[in-house]
Amino acid sequence: MWMVNLRVTSNARRVALVLAVVLILGFLLLPGQLQSVFHGVGGPLGWIISWPLRVVAGVHDRIAGVWGGYVALQGMEEENRQLKRELELLKEQNGQLRESAAATERLATLLEFKKQALPTLIAAQVIGRDTGNWYKTIILDKGASDGIQADQGVITPAGVVGRIVKTTASTSVVLLVTDPNNAIAGLIQRTRDEGIVEGTTQGQARLKYIPLLSGARPGDRVVTSGLVEGFPRGLAIGTITRIDKEEEALFQSAELSPEVDPSRVEEVLVIQSSPVPTEKERLSMPRPKL
Amino acid sequence: MKMVIYGAIIVGIVPVQSVLLPHLTLWGVKPDLGVVAVCLIGLISGELDGLLVGVAVGWALSLFSAQDVIIGAMLKGSLGFVAGLAGRQMVYLSPLVLVSGLLVVSCLVGLVTPVVLRLNPQQDLWWAIWNVALPQACLDAVIGGAIYWLMWSQFNIEQLMSESRM
Repeated sequence: MWMVNLRVTSNARRVALVLAVVLILGFLLLPGQLQSVFHGVGGPLGWIISWPLRVVAGVHDRIAGVWGGYVALQGMEEENRQLKRELELLKEQNGQLRESAAATERLATLLEFKKQALPTLIAAQVIGRDTGNWYKTIILDKGASDGIQADQGVITPAGVVGRIVKTTASTSVVLLVTDPNNAIAGLIQRTRDEGIVEGTTQGQARLKYIPLLSGARPGDRVVTSGLVEGFPRGLAIGTITRIDKEEEALFQSAELSPEVDPSRVEEVLVIQSSPVPTEKERLSMPRPKL
Repeated sequence: MKMVIYGAIIVGIVPVQSVLLPHLTLWGVKPDLGVVAVCLIGLISGELDGLLVGVAVGWALSLFSAQDVIIGAMLKGSLGFVAGLAGRQMVYLSPLVLVSGLLVVSCLVGLVTPVVLRLNPQQDLWWAIWNVALPQACLDAVIGGAIYWLMWSQFNIEQLMSESRM
């Protein structure tokens, strides 16, 4: 069998070896070009795969809906859902009011009022989770053809969910705020101290680089600072549960309980346009004629 | 026929992995059907099929994950190629051998992946072993063993292996 296999498949073996060598060389020598080729050709492949993905997600949602609605205490389920919706809306309103109050106070003293442009939002449904175990992501049913691009922020009425990292024509992948590889500029609402919000391996989040003199304490809300592209100022990220202050450290950090439970999120809003102009936009902005 | 099966695997693996498998987790970790499928194809059909299907499966799975597309395709492609080479050295493959092999291979892939992906320092090698690699390897081995046992009881695998390589 060994001899027969060697003789009959020597051609296939050669092809496989050549292909493997070409791929490895391409990966080592031209990673950028290979990446763009894979991304370019990946469009149609992603489009084809998105069809069975939607079908399976639809069937799954229906089964989950039937189970949740009829089998597992229909009345309680609906009431709970309504209360959760109301709570999310109230939380969002509360956050917005707090933010508005703080902003009004600051702006009144500065005597310069600049109206914040409202971002355009795209509603999308969650149709899947990450295909691997290394990242915490969700898959949305809207993609590049709907105007979604990488680095756009994703929210629910309760707060920040994550950031778009990849798109196909009809789907997009959101890296969740609880993923350790995600970083969002955050601001403690009460003290106005800024920091970077990063996910943790325990499925929570952490606000890093808080100044040592900050008076942050557990219970303080953390919102987006609006300093980076993707998220406007004032969107709820989470609530501080613990402050970590190490001796001789330059900064302190805080553990956050995220406002949105990413494992239960079903519908989201993608922020299509951010009111914060990018560096490129700022530089290319026409100056007013005097 | 083979092309249809491979096509169905490449297209169907993403919905199964992203929609259905999150319900089948061990300590929050789901199995990687890509590893199982590519290993089985490599073992049964040889290194060329293993390599090509591996690249396609890795690529498709990476399109729906935050994972780098090239790294995903290269990892699964290499796995299929190595499985093909290993399959060539075997005349008889029992489910027990396959389960042990999958356990080791999945563990090794789980060790290599965080290094290649250059993840956040929180996700160090020790974390990767205990929180992802080991549970995933156990699940991969069980699922791979079950699929192989089903195939073994229905078809003559040895004949299939030699036929598919002709």
